[in-house]
Amino acid sequence: MTGAPVTLLAATLVFAACLALAVVLVLTKVGRETRRRRRAALVAPLRPHLIAVSAGEDEGPARSTLVAAEGPSRRAVTGAIADLLGKVRGLPAEHLVEVLDRHGALESAMADLRHSSPVRRAQAAQLLGVSRVPDAVDSLVVALQDKAGEVRSSAAYALGLIGDPRAAAPLLAAVGAPGAGLPAGLAADALLGMGVGISGALGDALSDPDPRTRTVAAHVCGIGSFTRALPCLRERLALDPDLTVRETCAQALGSIGRADDVEVLARHTEASQPLPLRRVCAEALGQLGEDAAVSTLAALLRGPDPRLAEIAATSLVRLGPCGRAALDAASDERPVQSALTVASLQGVLR
Amino acid sequence: MEVSTPEGTRVLVADDDADIRELVEFKLSQAGYAVQAVPDGLAAWEAFEANPPQLAVLDVMMPGLSGFDVLRKIRESDHPRVPVLMLSAKSRDSDVDTGFAIGADDYVIKPFSPRELLHRVNTMLSRARA
Repeated sequence: MTGAPVTLLAATLVFAACLALAVVLVLTKVGRETRRRRRAALVAPLRPHLIAVSAGEDEGPARSTLVAAEGPSRRAVTGAIADLLGKVRGLPAEHLVEVLDRHGALESAMADLRHSSPVRRAQAAQLLGVSRVPDAVDSLVVALQDKAGEVRSSAAYALGLIGDPRAAAPLLAAVGAPGAGLPAGLAADALLGMGVGISGALGDALSDPDPRTRTVAAHVCGIGSFTRALPCLRERLALDPDLTVRETCAQALGSIGRADDVEVLARHTEASQPLPLRRVCAEALGQLGEDAAVSTLAALLRGPDPRLAEIAATSLVRLGPCGRAALDAASDERPVQSALTVASLQGVLR
Repeated sequence: MEVSTPEGTRVLVADDDADIRELVEFKLSQAGYAVQAVPDGLAAWEAFEANPPQLAVLDVMMPGLSGFDVLRKIRESDHPRVPVLMLSAKSRDSDVDTGFAIGADDYVIKPFSPRELLHRVNTMLSRARA
């Protein structure tokens, strides 16, 4: 076969593949829109009742009407309630969950966590989460090990909504599960939804063999103000073999550290430390807000790395009058000028 | 502080989510407010310009003009003192800070309690009239 026919054949195949993809996309969109309209049509007669219950203006009849829905209408109402549960809280949400319970939807969702379809398993986890079903915690913890990533993510999301601190340890372990982990941000959000009772689990996770688990634990300690973890954060900053873990510990110390942590962070801005860690520690010193950090940060202004110098200058701005005095003494340095310009633009300086 | 009587008080509600729009409209209407509900930021601004309400409830993420854009326009308009409550799923501190920095009078995060929303609307209007 010569060059031209091969090129023509290849172009035809590419065109056919593109066409097939476009057809699939259109069909998927049409199918989704058709289902949405069908559900809206089924819900329409019941929508005033649904809105009344969601608004907390139900005197009883509206809820009874929703509970009495049968067949396809019942399934459509279940879907509509699942949507609304992500939008309202308080007594109206409890009333909506009561309707779901009377429909048997929560019992079905518990069973669907073991369904062969990962879509059904993920939807079941989501429904149990938005309905805040405490009895679902054990099953959702099992779902954290699911082979499908979307199911694991939905289970983590649901556990965060339910907020039972018993789920914190398995959730942290799931973050670093080999070949079946969880997105770090999602895990952190879920953990923050579990309140102060996860302090022990976070402390243990800071010593987990997997660096992803240690990173998430350190991040949550900082964001959630888990000050009991401070000794462990200091230790991990100094000794952890993973740089990301060390950086996250430094950020956490910047958020929740004590005056003593100026010395800890300052030690890690020294030239013998990895540059990314030095930068994070310089920023954390500014966040910590202690005047004792001025001399360390001022020394960084004339260093060879302009980015580190700029971060140090920004941190000095954050420290207030003491930091500003150190900046004035180094006002000829370009990083200082950049930091001051940025601070002025942000309205920090006038 | 005495809570105001809502009868006839006009409230503009803007949210691209039909569920939220309908339930806020329903809740405030049940309390006696005259509610105009619109599905996007541009419609919100047009409704505000045509007939300024006594209070506006704005979602942040809407097609066209965002709730923050509408809020900015309101604060630059001939009726800059109209109380505005932001109702949004954007829950980060920086989002809330932005809302208040632009001039929001209150910020409610979704999922929200409709009952609490009504109390906040009542209180904002009472303060505005005091």
